[in-house]
Amino acid sequence: MVTLDKIAHLAENCRFDSLGPAARANPEKLSLLGEGTRHDVCASTYSPRETPLPGICHSFTQDGRCVSLFKTLYTNHCSHQCNYCTNATNCSHKAKTFSYTPEELASITLSLYRSNYIEGLFLSSGAGRNEDDIMEKMVETARWLRQKHGFRGYIHLKILPGASHDHIQEAMELADRVSINLEASTATHMNEMCATKDYENDILQRQRYIRDMSTAANLPAGQTTQLVVGAGGESDEEIFQRIIYEYKEIGLRRAYYSAFCPQEGTRFEHKEAQPQWREHRLYQIDWLYRVYHFQPLEIRQAFDENGFLHNNDPKMAIAREFMDSPVDPNVATSRELLRVPGIGPRSAQRIVALRQRQKILAKSDLVAAGVRVKRAAPFLKINGWRDSTLEMWSD
Amino acid sequence: MVRLRVPEDFHYYLSRHQDCNERLLARAGSFTPRDLEISTDPDAMRMRKMIYAVTGEVHRMLAFIRLKPLGSQVLYGYLKPRHRIGEHVCDHFARRTPGIIAVLGNGSESWISLCREGRIMRDHGRGIAETLERLRSALGLPEDDPDADNSNMSDLNLDDLWQVYYDSQYCPEKKNLAVFHQRMPRRDQDAAGLRMVQNKKEVTLDDFLGDGRSTEHPLKDP
Repeated sequence: MVTLDKIAHLAENCRFDSLGPAARANPEKLSLLGEGTRHDVCASTYSPRETPLPGICHSFTQDGRCVSLFKTLYTNHCSHQCNYCTNATNCSHKAKTFSYTPEELASITLSLYRSNYIEGLFLSSGAGRNEDDIMEKMVETARWLRQKHGFRGYIHLKILPGASHDHIQEAMELADRVSINLEASTATHMNEMCATKDYENDILQRQRYIRDMSTAANLPAGQTTQLVVGAGGESDEEIFQRIIYEYKEIGLRRAYYSAFCPQEGTRFEHKEAQPQWREHRLYQIDWLYRVYHFQPLEIRQAFDENGFLHNNDPKMAIAREFMDSPVDPNVATSRELLRVPGIGPRSAQRIVALRQRQKILAKSDLVAAGVRVKRAAPFLKINGWRDSTLEMWSD
Repeated sequence: MVRLRVPEDFHYYLSRHQDCNERLLARAGSFTPRDLEISTDPDAMRMRKMIYAVTGEVHRMLAFIRLKPLGSQVLYGYLKPRHRIGEHVCDHFARRTPGIIAVLGNGSESWISLCREGRIMRDHGRGIAETLERLRSALGLPEDDPDADNSNMSDLNLDDLWQVYYDSQYCPEKKNLAVFHQRMPRRDQDAAGLRMVQNKKEVTLDDFLGDGRSTEHPLKDP
C-alpha cells in the first residue's frame, strides 16, 4: 500500500477539458444521428489491439441488445436512393439533416469513454453529396481520437459504398474493425432495393480492397458486413450462398443480419415487416457454419423447397435428417458430438475431457458438462441405451 | 476453439468470494482449472459456482460503473460489491486511464488505484466521501462546487447526453424486457450505483421499484 498523498503527488495533471467546449451536443442531432444506426449491429468490442478483454456490454436497451459503443452516423445527409432508408433522397418523410464535425465527435466519444459508458466508437454515415468527402471526415474523426488524444478504445468504421482505395487504407490503419454493408445478397436484389449503388463495383470490389490490404497489424478485429433481410425479396438460401462466399473468399470475420422493418415515407413503407425470428434463424445457421463447422450440404437441409428457413431450430432439423444412429458420448469424435442438438462447442470439449478420466454412464454426467440433455437424449446412446426418439419430433 | 469458463488463476477469484474460507482454498489446491470445469465432485461443483459468481460480478462491475471527474486527475464512481473485488475492479479503471487516479467506493470503504508507467499503486480508505475530500486537499482543489466537474459541458451534462443517445438506440419492434432484466440484473446495477431506464423523462416511480423490491439492497460488506 502507498499513501494517498503519494498517489496524489504522482498523478499526472491531465486536462480533461483540453477538448474545449466541443463536448456540448445538440440533443436533437445526437438523437437523430444515433437513431440512424440503431439497426446496425456490432456485437463485439474485443480487439487484440489491447490486452484481450471479453467484450464489455455497458448497458442493454429494453430490446435486450447491448450498447457498448457510441454508435452514430456522421451525417444523415445522403445522395443514395435506398428504398428502405429514411435518409434516402426519395424518402418523403425526411428528418432535418445534421452533421458532426470530427472534433465534436471525438470529444463526445472521449467523454463517454472516460466515464465508462462505452468501449469505443462505431461510426457510420449517409453518403452526403459525395462519399469521399464524408469518408475523409470519418477518417479524420478516428485520427483525432487515436493520434491527437491517444485514444485506446475500440473503433469500428463503416466504409461507404464506392469509397476510394486511399480512404479505405487510411481507415484500416486507424480502426479495429471496418465493414461495408452488403445490404442485399445479390446484384439483382440490390437493384430492387436501391437504384444508386452498383453491387459489384461499389460494394464487393471495396470488400476485396479491404481483404487485400489486411495485415495482422492493421485491422485486428477484421472485416464484417451486414444485410437487410427480406427487403429485396431474397430467400434465406440465397443469403446463405452469399455468406459462404463472403467467409471463404473475402475472409469475413462475421456477418450481421437485420430483419427488414418498413419506415414511414420510404418507398418500402407498405412492404411487410420481416419477423424477428427470421433474423434469429439466420444467425443460427451462420453459427452452424462458422463455429460448428457444418458443411453447406448439411445446412441446406434446413431450407424448404423455396429456400426459406422455418421458425424452428435448424440444428434439430439437420440432425433429424442426418443422424441415423445414436451417438455414444464415450467414443464419438468432437465433430460427431457437435452435431447433436443440445451439445455446443463448450460442452463437447467438456465431454472429451470428462471421458478421459471416467466413463460417461449417466445423464447427470452430461448435465455437469453443460449439455441440454432433454434435447440431446434422443440422439445419444447412454450406457448402451437410447431414449425414446419421440422427443426429437416434439418441437 | 471456444474458451472454457474456469480461468487459469481461479484461486484468486475463489479467494475473493464472500463465503470463501481457508478450508475451501486449501481444498482448491488439489484441483486444476480443467478439473473444476468438468468435475461432478460436490466440493468442485460448489467452487465452480463460486468462481462464476465472482468473475460474473467483476465483469458486470467493469460494465456498469460510471465515473465522474474530480478536478482533472481523479475519476471516481460508486461500488458496493457482494464479493471482495473492490481493489481488482479499481485497478482495471486505473489501467484504463493511466496517470489518472481511480477511486471507487461506498459509504463505508473505498479503493484508490493509480497506474503509472505500467505499475499500479493502491490505497484503501474509509467512506468514499472522506477519501475524495482527502484527495481534494492533497491535490489542492478548490472547495466543493457541484458545477465545477462539468464546467466544459454546460449545455448538456454527460449523463443527459448519454440518456439521449441510449434512448435513440432502442428498436421498439424488438422489445424484449425478459432479456433486458436478465442482462442487467437489478442486484448488479445496485452494486454499481446504476439505474438504467429507457426514456427516463417518461418514467414513473414504478419503473424504479417495479419488481416490488426496495432500492436499498441488503448488501453484505466485505
